[in-house]
Amino acid sequence: MFMHDLRLALHSLRRNPVLTALMVIAIAAGIAASMITITTYHGRSGHPIWWKADKLYAVTLDPRDPDANNAFASLQRHPEYPPLQVTYQDAKALFRSDIPTRQVMMYRSSRVVPPRQPGEKPLAFDTRLTTADFFAMFDVPFIYGRGWTRADDEGPSPVVVLSKYANQKLFGGTNSVGKTVTLQDKDFRVIGVIDSWSPAPKFYDLNNGGFDLPENLFMPFQWGIALKLGNNGSTNCVRANVKVGGFEELLTSDCVWLQYWAELPTASQRQRYQAFVDNYTNDQRRAGRFPRPQNNNRIVDVDTWLEMWEIVGDETKIQVAVAIMFLLVCVLNTFGLMLAKFLKAAPISGLRRALGASRVDIMRQHLIEVVIVGLLGGALGLVLAKFGLDGMRVLAIRPVPGQDDNPARVALQQSLSSMDTNMFLVALALALLTGILAGLYPAWRIGRLSPSTFLKTQ
Amino acid sequence: MEIRALLSAMWRSRVGPVLVAAQVAITLAVVVNVAYIVKLRIDNISQATGVDADNIFWVAMQAYVPDYNAAVAAPADVTWLRSLPGVVDAANSSLVPQGFSTSVLPVSYDASLLDKEGGRGQGVSPAIIYMGTARLVQTLGVKLVAGRGFSEGAVQPPAPDGRATLAQWGPEVVITKNLADKLWPKGDALGKTLHTGLVNKPATIVGIVEYMQHQPVMGPAADMFRSVVMVAATPAGQRTMYLVRTQPGRRDAVMARVEKDMADLQPGRYISAMESLTNSAARQRAGSVTSVVTLSVVAAFVVLVTVVGIVGLAAFTVATRTKQLGTRRAIGATKFHILRYFLVENWLITSVGALIGCALALAVGIKLSMMYRMPQLPLFYLVGGVVALWLLGLLAVWLPARRAAAISPATATRTV
Repeated sequence: MFMHDLRLALHSLRRNPVLTALMVIAIAAGIAASMITITTYHGRSGHPIWWKADKLYAVTLDPRDPDANNAFASLQRHPEYPPLQVTYQDAKALFRSDIPTRQVMMYRSSRVVPPRQPGEKPLAFDTRLTTADFFAMFDVPFIYGRGWTRADDEGPSPVVVLSKYANQKLFGGTNSVGKTVTLQDKDFRVIGVIDSWSPAPKFYDLNNGGFDLPENLFMPFQWGIALKLGNNGSTNCVRANVKVGGFEELLTSDCVWLQYWAELPTASQRQRYQAFVDNYTNDQRRAGRFPRPQNNNRIVDVDTWLEMWEIVGDETKIQVAVAIMFLLVCVLNTFGLMLAKFLKAAPISGLRRALGASRVDIMRQHLIEVVIVGLLGGALGLVLAKFGLDGMRVLAIRPVPGQDDNPARVALQQSLSSMDTNMFLVALALALLTGILAGLYPAWRIGRLSPSTFLKTQ
Repeated sequence: MEIRALLSAMWRSRVGPVLVAAQVAITLAVVVNVAYIVKLRIDNISQATGVDADNIFWVAMQAYVPDYNAAVAAPADVTWLRSLPGVVDAANSSLVPQGFSTSVLPVSYDASLLDKEGGRGQGVSPAIIYMGTARLVQTLGVKLVAGRGFSEGAVQPPAPDGRATLAQWGPEVVITKNLADKLWPKGDALGKTLHTGLVNKPATIVGIVEYMQHQPVMGPAADMFRSVVMVAATPAGQRTMYLVRTQPGRRDAVMARVEKDMADLQPGRYISAMESLTNSAARQRAGSVTSVVTLSVVAAFVVLVTVVGIVGLAAFTVATRTKQLGTRRAIGATKFHILRYFLVENWLITSVGALIGCALALAVGIKLSMMYRMPQLPLFYLVGGVVALWLLGLLAVWLPARRAAAISPATATRTV
């Protein structure tokens, strides 16, 4: 029965090869455009640590002056957001709380490993200065060793955690735990090596772009202070009366430059922590800081955090919207062509009806035809989408001078614009939906026609 | 004309025309808005930079020994760079024009304004701060409309870290005309004192640059990126950046020479990155270029598919009405009448679609301007879009209409 319908449908499609090709191409183009833009959107809108979605919270305070309508604020889309980083003195104060199960204050800097033999090139590594909980909090996988402890933070102990890439570069990928790395002028002991790990977006610090790799070296936060390591990120001095100058001023002024995260697994912890933070800023207000009359302390989950940073971006959203409008035009187009095609071939259906085929038979045969067109269009669309995504990659990904040769960087960029199984299913669904939306009415219309209408004119 | 007959014929097979009208409507909404978005992007990425972008490159030197003396190395490097054949000028700079880093501080003509209202009210403007050595203005190749570049003595030696350089400014600044006109609308900025918030350094304006844009930015912040302040300072430390301007056509040769020899002039350092400004600018614009290409390609396909739809409907109509058309010819209609019939029918469908499309395009435009901080869609884009669709519609229907007109009156006497 089905095979019979299929044969009839294929026969009918072959009767008008040009029309069939036009419909397939229209659907393919619509699906390709949608898939290219949806894939880009999907790549940018992932939840990098979904299994801890309701546990991890970014902490931001608002030490700004109270003038909401100032020259800078008018340039911001969301002047109501607090600054998206915290000051050193606030981070230190927050760190005293024992409410969070885990918490980190941290920032990004860079360190250079000098040539170890004559003729060798120095190696520069992005470096994260962080407190100990970082690894457990963000579920960082280790190949060798482990992270350091809170006790190591106090010293601070001269320990360093390497990325897989740094370990490859420095120790040829062998177990380097216990070995020594010289970073500029100071020796550090390797305590652990991280396995491949590239959360996308790099939610824990978005200052250097949403789709950067994690740092290659990790060392206790206090080393940053002790060695006066400046930050490679952004520094925003949020009050007019602060004086910026050297590193010491940075530690005492109202300049935000640190990232702060807390792990708060239970609702009661979250409530207590919000109260703690609000109490802290109230106290600070009495002492002359936090001049805004209302607290604007936001303790936000990863989803909200990524939204505040506008990681998906306007361009991507506009492109998805345009592509979906295009797909709609393709549906309407196929609808019209399909209707014309069916009506033109109506006498044949009339003949089939007269010979005993039921309305349902006629409808089914035509629906199968529609689904075939949809699937062919979908398949062709997927191929086009792949080429399109490759082309976009050529346009969008450009080598950055001085960047390391970490293969994970290329892999990360590619994964952002690659169609995974989910995307494949979306394409299949879109193809079927397009075909059915376009063909349901024409099939129903042709099935409803009375056979006599056609037999008369023959 | 037989408008009533035409309308009644359309009414009898209304689904086809409705579909085409809907396609035309969506097409108009998409094409008009995409054209405007693309135009804004292209305007943005093709903005003049104001600097001699084709002949400048930057090089970043990274030290890895603690006793690296940038205070000695940086001036020596600049002298060496300036001595190279093919080099026009060189200077240290804290920022790369058209690069990715930005440094913004509030500036004003009155120091007390910087402390009022959080230093961000009237009479205060945000500005992009370039810290650079004596020949910065000449190295950038910007055009001075008044005054001069820094004097040699104005430049302060480097601070131990780059951040402290912020507090070690010389007494001279050069600013862009864009900023000068904002703070001194009477045009008498030269020689006045510019106050800068957060660092609170007063400095005399010794030069005014006609135009310079730090980064291509759209929207309300665009103006800030043309408000540039160049400060006489030596931004040098463990990482030191140099800008080099060469004679036309000699940039790549100079870059090769620098890459080969420069790091070895001092021990304990290496070139961590270097790039031509042309490349930096292209990298900066890559996202916008991708967007322009993607949107244009999709919009072109939308038009193409709609044209195919119009051709398809017209061809179908001609095919199913062959007999009636023959009859009309037999009872006196000329070829011109038939041709006109199809053109008018198509024009009506397109117009109805365009009318709905106008409303849709405006709605989309308003939504976009609200969601994405875009300026409102100008109405002439809509007018242009409607006219273009009319022409495309007529073009699309022309061939099927010609075929219809060619139907012989004798067809009427035959059975199909």
